[in-house]
Amino acid sequence: MSRTLSRVATFVILAIAALAITAPFLWIFRGAFSASDAELYKLPPTFEPANLTGANFGRVTDQVPYFRFFTNSIVVSTTVTAAQIVTCATAAYAFARLRFRGKGVLFAVVIGSLMIPIQVTIVPLFLVMSKLGLTNTLWSLILPGIFSGFGIFLLRQHFLALPYELEEAAKLDGAGHFRTFARVILPLSGPSIATLGILCFTYWWNDLLLPLVMISDTERQTLPVGLVLLAGRFSTGSLGTIAAGIAMAIGPVLIVFLAAQRYIVQSIASSGLKL
Amino acid sequence: MTERQAPPAPGRGATPGKRKDGLAALAFLSPSIVTFVIFVLAPTLGVLYLSFYDWNLLSDGTFVGLDNFERLFTDERLLRVYGSTVYMALAILAINVVLGLLLAVLLETRMPRWLRGVFRLSFLFPFVVSAAAVALIWRFLLNKDLGLVNYLLGGLGIDRIDWLGSSVWAPISIIIVNSWKTIGFSILVYIAGLQAIPDQLKEAAIVDGANAWTRFWRITFPMLSPTIFFLVVINTINSFQIFAEPRVLTQGGPGDASRTIVEYLYDRAFGDFDLGYASAIGITFMLVLIVLTAVQFRFSRRWTFYE
Repeated sequence: MSRTLSRVATFVILAIAALAITAPFLWIFRGAFSASDAELYKLPPTFEPANLTGANFGRVTDQVPYFRFFTNSIVVSTTVTAAQIVTCATAAYAFARLRFRGKGVLFAVVIGSLMIPIQVTIVPLFLVMSKLGLTNTLWSLILPGIFSGFGIFLLRQHFLALPYELEEAAKLDGAGHFRTFARVILPLSGPSIATLGILCFTYWWNDLLLPLVMISDTERQTLPVGLVLLAGRFSTGSLGTIAAGIAMAIGPVLIVFLAAQRYIVQSIASSGLKL
Repeated sequence: MTERQAPPAPGRGATPGKRKDGLAALAFLSPSIVTFVIFVLAPTLGVLYLSFYDWNLLSDGTFVGLDNFERLFTDERLLRVYGSTVYMALAILAINVVLGLLLAVLLETRMPRWLRGVFRLSFLFPFVVSAAAVALIWRFLLNKDLGLVNYLLGGLGIDRIDWLGSSVWAPISIIIVNSWKTIGFSILVYIAGLQAIPDQLKEAAIVDGANAWTRFWRITFPMLSPTIFFLVVINTINSFQIFAEPRVLTQGGPGDASRTIVEYLYDRAFGDFDLGYASAIGITFMLVLIVLTAVQFRFSRRWTFYE
């Protein structure tokens, strides 16, 4: 009896939490298809399939260069993610498997870099970019994201947990470090690389600060700034249009997330994130 | 830093095997070293350098010694902004660590697999959505007169709350919106930690007749302490860096009630073009993070348990 009761209570608490977390999204997706703002502001919220329309999405693309923002965001996020996986995986391999001088010091530097947020270095970073002549280009959003102390740390923990036996076999076959890394370590590291990929992609897809600072040309902005522009310009205007813009910004990230989410739990569990 | 990385010169006593690894290490590390030096180390030294100058991007900078640091002590707004940043960050940290643990423990109780999957996905969902989009959604939901939240509260007989316009409620709104967005990540890390606890321990405790409460405090909590510690450190660092939520939801207001230190720094640097002073603020912020993390590491020895 009391066991049933506690299971029901557990379910109710989780269901309320899940509803509180997802309801705002359902509301925004409904708003994106809503024909009139008056209907959206009606309380309690109503849902009449007859009143649905796709016109709001067209209005978004009329008001702001949505597809430019979208392309810019895709270019920035995928380039940073690919580059970060390369730099982090190679560095993590060195820290996990190679013997060399200064390893301890360098690893301390990696961990220390976690405490220097980009928000602190944003001013000189802007100056570095303008010295290189890269402000107002997508490079200024890509280059600062490539080094990641967190990524090196995450992958190193994972590589350390891999068994040595397979590498020994590869070494006996005469494989050098690069072949061992590419043929043995990488194929075994799918989940943790996917995790780093998801975290990196969503972070740079969503970043607001760097594009606000680096980019002055509207055509070169990314989606989060585009959303703020859309809402700023029409804050007294159409709610449905803003809702459609938000829905269009959430969509791609949602697809990446659903495709790769099962890796996240797996790899965080296996890498044993312990400080 | 890079020089130290170079392989030892021949004949300096390194074994041949070590030397080979040294060259390979340099090759494997060079992409990280190059990007670190240009985009992390140089800007960090740059902050230090700029903090001694008065500079507005256009004219030549003038060296002003410690003037920018003296200004820190007379800037009353800075103190207020630090106050509201600390208040919001601590609340977000507590919600993530405590409520996140509660929800994770509930999620790991017995239930159908698909149901667990649905819950887990819904909790994690806001984490992958841009903070700007999230803040925009909540700007509608928290609207005083037309928002859904006040409507639902009205159903419970609660008067309309001025979520975004009152100095009491604006920071609370930021706390709610940011926790709502980040708690999924904390839950996920907790789940990973809970799954790593060996089943034999729990079973042995059940056989010994320990109830759920005792099992939690005697087994789950100590075994989970490294995970809790990880989350405290990560959530502290993250919650001190909030920028998008106040920017979009409240513009830091009313007054400075919901302004964060990063937003203040951004306004000084790219609103007033007071780059030297903004750099001095950046240094205080970096010091705060380093001290907080160091203190957490120090105290962690008292309460974390490693196998």
